[in-house]
Amino acid sequence: MQRTTTIGRIVRWILLLLVGLFFLFPIFWVLLMSFQTNAQILRIPPSLFFEPTLENYAALISGRLETAAGTLEISFMRNLWNSVILSSSSVLLALVLGVPAAYAFARFRFRLGEDIAFTLLSFRFAPPLLVLLPLALYFQTIGLNDTYIGLIWVYQLIVLPLILWIVRGYFEDISPDIEHAYRVDGHSWIRTFTRIAIPLARPGIAAAALLAFIFAWNNFIFALILASADKQPVTVGALAFVTASGIQYGQIAAAVVLSVTPTLLLALYAQRYLVEGLSLGAVKG
Amino acid sequence: MATRAGEMATTPRRRSARHNLLPYLLSLPALLVCIGILIPFFTAVWYSLQRYNLALPFTRAFIWFDNYKEFLSDARFWNTVQVSLLYTFLTVGIELLLGLGIAMLLRRATLLNNIMSVALMLPLMIAPAIASLMWKLMTNPNFGILSYLVSLVGLENFKWASDPSTALLTVVLVDVWVYTPFMMVLLLAGLRALPPQPFEAAELDGVPASFVFFRITLPMLTPYIITASLFRMLDSIQQFDIIYAMTQGGPGDTLLVFQVAAYLEFFQYTNVGRSAALLMVLWAITFVLSNLFIKQWLRLRERARGAA
Amino acid sequence: MHRKASDLTSAFVGRRMGRRELVRRMGQLGLSAAAANFLLNRASTRVLAADFDWKKHEGTSLQLLMNKHPYLDAMVANLDNFKELTGMDVQYDVFPEDVYFDKVTATLSSGSSQYDAFMTGAYQTWQYGPAGWLVDMAELIGDAEMTAPNYDWEDILPNLRASTAWSGVPGAALGGDGAKQWAIPWGFELNSLSYNRRIFEQAGIANPPKDLAELMEQAVKITADVPDVYGIGVRGSRSWATIHPGYLSGFSNYGASDFNVDNGKLTAAMNSDAGKTFTRQWVEMIQNSGPRNWSTYTWYQVGTDLGAGASGMIYDADILGYFQNGGTAEAGNIAYSAFAPNPEADAPTPNVWIWSLGMNANGQQQDAAWYFVQWASGTEHGLFGARTMDFVNPVRQSVWEDEEFRARIAKSYPGYLEQYEASAPGSKIYFTPQPLFFNLTTEWAASLQRMVANEVPVDEGLDQLAESVNGQLKSAGLG
Repeated sequence: MQRTTTIGRIVRWILLLLVGLFFLFPIFWVLLMSFQTNAQILRIPPSLFFEPTLENYAALISGRLETAAGTLEISFMRNLWNSVILSSSSVLLALVLGVPAAYAFARFRFRLGEDIAFTLLSFRFAPPLLVLLPLALYFQTIGLNDTYIGLIWVYQLIVLPLILWIVRGYFEDISPDIEHAYRVDGHSWIRTFTRIAIPLARPGIAAAALLAFIFAWNNFIFALILASADKQPVTVGALAFVTASGIQYGQIAAAVVLSVTPTLLLALYAQRYLVEGLSLGAVKG
Repeated sequence: MATRAGEMATTPRRRSARHNLLPYLLSLPALLVCIGILIPFFTAVWYSLQRYNLALPFTRAFIWFDNYKEFLSDARFWNTVQVSLLYTFLTVGIELLLGLGIAMLLRRATLLNNIMSVALMLPLMIAPAIASLMWKLMTNPNFGILSYLVSLVGLENFKWASDPSTALLTVVLVDVWVYTPFMMVLLLAGLRALPPQPFEAAELDGVPASFVFFRITLPMLTPYIITASLFRMLDSIQQFDIIYAMTQGGPGDTLLVFQVAAYLEFFQYTNVGRSAALLMVLWAITFVLSNLFIKQWLRLRERARGAA
Repeated sequence: MHRKASDLTSAFVGRRMGRRELVRRMGQLGLSAAAANFLLNRASTRVLAADFDWKKHEGTSLQLLMNKHPYLDAMVANLDNFKELTGMDVQYDVFPEDVYFDKVTATLSSGSSQYDAFMTGAYQTWQYGPAGWLVDMAELIGDAEMTAPNYDWEDILPNLRASTAWSGVPGAALGGDGAKQWAIPWGFELNSLSYNRRIFEQAGIANPPKDLAELMEQAVKITADVPDVYGIGVRGSRSWATIHPGYLSGFSNYGASDFNVDNGKLTAAMNSDAGKTFTRQWVEMIQNSGPRNWSTYTWYQVGTDLGAGASGMIYDADILGYFQNGGTAEAGNIAYSAFAPNPEADAPTPNVWIWSLGMNANGQQQDAAWYFVQWASGTEHGLFGARTMDFVNPVRQSVWEDEEFRARIAKSYPGYLEQYEASAPGSKIYFTPQPLFFNLTTEWAASLQRMVANEVPVDEGLDQLAESVNGQLKSAGLG
């Protein structure tokens, strides 16, 4: 599709290398840190050579940390689990609510359509801090304080607008012709929606779902204010290693690696759909 | 090719009633689920119209727009506006250019490109607050690997986030590192969704690459660019985690963006009224900017639909 | 074996066996010092139980909100004793320190009754108290029905008791008339020097500095002569936490104070001559031999640098230096010294941070919560934590006099006991209590940052600060 000259190819490789270096070097360095003890990490000057140790991971996974003053309990795995529940449930709910809505905005010109769409987007404008504290008050009155349901509901503020508008863009780009042809054949709109529209928009849905998952995963202010310690997500779990007796960089690094893993796996899985974009192009009239 | 008008004309009458309701049925659940947030929102608006400091309960009073009026003459407020807008502009701008460039590099679905596109998402997967912590360590003058590397090329005493002149640069750098993948993913998916025909035609005609890029790729990609920039803008102007973790708004007042200032006002100074007022201003700015983006996006969509 | 150990502790408590003998025999049974102390504490606790109805609230379940901190670890290690003593159950929610006070503020401000008691600092009570979120525990302490006879409130250091008591009137002296005991001291930190003996040796410095001028000299020498090391570590982030440790301790040592109080009205006083003199030297010290990234330095960076051998000394919380003497690269090299920066001062005047326990005014189980608070701040638990865990600095005189505790500290922390003894009489909170504490100290820190970055000369910076502070006080009706 593109002309590739040798020079062009070399330039591409160099650029890719630089980009990779910039974005991935810190990740690589964090990975290295996760196999070091704190004393090794805090060496002057820093060095890339060291004796690896698995004690950081062991501490996180087993939930126990041996220190000079005795054993401490770490609830990191629980935090990880909380993040998985909160993020996946929120995204699933947002997909169920958002994809049909996106379709509606893309396909139908209806009164108030743009207004509703913009309103849904505007929920994203509210800075979390603005609504959090009154929310805490109200959640208490209606008993949603410290519940997963309450949190999943609040997380919609983050994930729903994102999914809605990204998927809408994809639906808009898909030519309605195939759907018309399908409909003219006598199929109901819902079959058209599920059999034609959704599969065609899969790359967009995959991208939106993945990004929404990441944003939900990285959010911690909602859970911090609205829930107690046993529902805290993984970010709070990682911050627990910043203690008065010192920052445990090794454990934070291991925590980062562990917390990135579910999202990475999801990205690898979704990658398949993101690539599909090529076939989509063939459909456009 | 059937147009929207054509389609409506051929719809049988008996289905038009259900058709009218259908889009509402599809979109209202989403609306209803989110509408609840209006209650806390209006509560916050109400707070912003009060003098309300939790530690000074006897001074609580309804003062209408005095909080806002005070902002107008407060140099620190204008500093906040300026820094927030500058930060947003820099981050969104740089991330857009960089994200677009990377997406163009990875455009073809080769194995390497696919692996890279997933690998490059890793910075985004790290919570910004933790990323900031990591960057803080990396830029530490004693143990920081980056400080070390930078000193090897001669920049001995680079102050990173601790000096007013380089602090903004440092946090923008962290932001770019974390969020460029966001742009990249959306723009890459957009690029891959573009129809191949115009490009094949251009190649056959021997059109130079730059012309292809500016006259074909970019216009088709613009709606995606707008969407991606919109969401990044929303995030950037509300940025808290990265800046607070790095410098808590310092050094001095150089990085006191809206949410950092509002956070300090509430959580440290327990000034609910002022915090709410500040965030309402942020909300208003966000509203105006988003409106601009959306209007542009809709215009482009209309034009595309008309040309289809 | 448990039975045998129990017998031993009973024998000790019943004064039929000496302490050394007890520990020796416990060791023979294979019990670690920590376990031995736990059992010992249990026995002592049982004795405690004899005079007072600890079981009054049996069956109640308490909910605590706690900061992730070594004090919490000490409490958790001993918690079973409390549960057995009172028949109560205790659940605790732990949050990392970075976000801890956010959680407390959010929870208390929403009027939640979820938590019965929580950890707090004294400064926070200057907001929480006037907001009506805290229980005044003064009445509880004096009530014989509510407090065990051997609680010994007076055993807690007088300065600490006073510093956690405030009437709520801005500018009123801490511990003065009408003061409400909004928090019970639990563990505290005073500010002094922790220095690295190895680095001092390397720089050819024999003794830690006696005053600020000497400190500045030595710091410059270290920065120049020892590679990859800077002289003095102090905090510099844009936060109240930058002002309250070394800076305010030195500031007060020069006779300066933050506010003047006149008829209940406050006026800023940080730009007094004494204040300016001290601040000029402080800023110079940082510019010449402080950490390069000073304005991002918090407790963690200051401590980490000391423990990793990147700084020669720190003027900060003594327990910060304490924590760096174990499990770090420079473990074993850290020593401690009291510090009075003013050459004309007789003694140090360290400002203190007091981790305390507060009770939620909206809590539904206040009586039961008080049982927990008095146990946690009681002598038995204090001894347990100080002897075997990191529950330092203890707030009780009797714990400081305890042989075992002193032996443990003297062994691994050279100079620590001496610096404490020299600093203790002058150690208290030197700030003037008022609800805008955090506003004003944060601004003070931002101002310091500008001075160190040479954006404004020290004198002018302090004058500007005073002006701004006075303006804010006026709008709040305090000035």
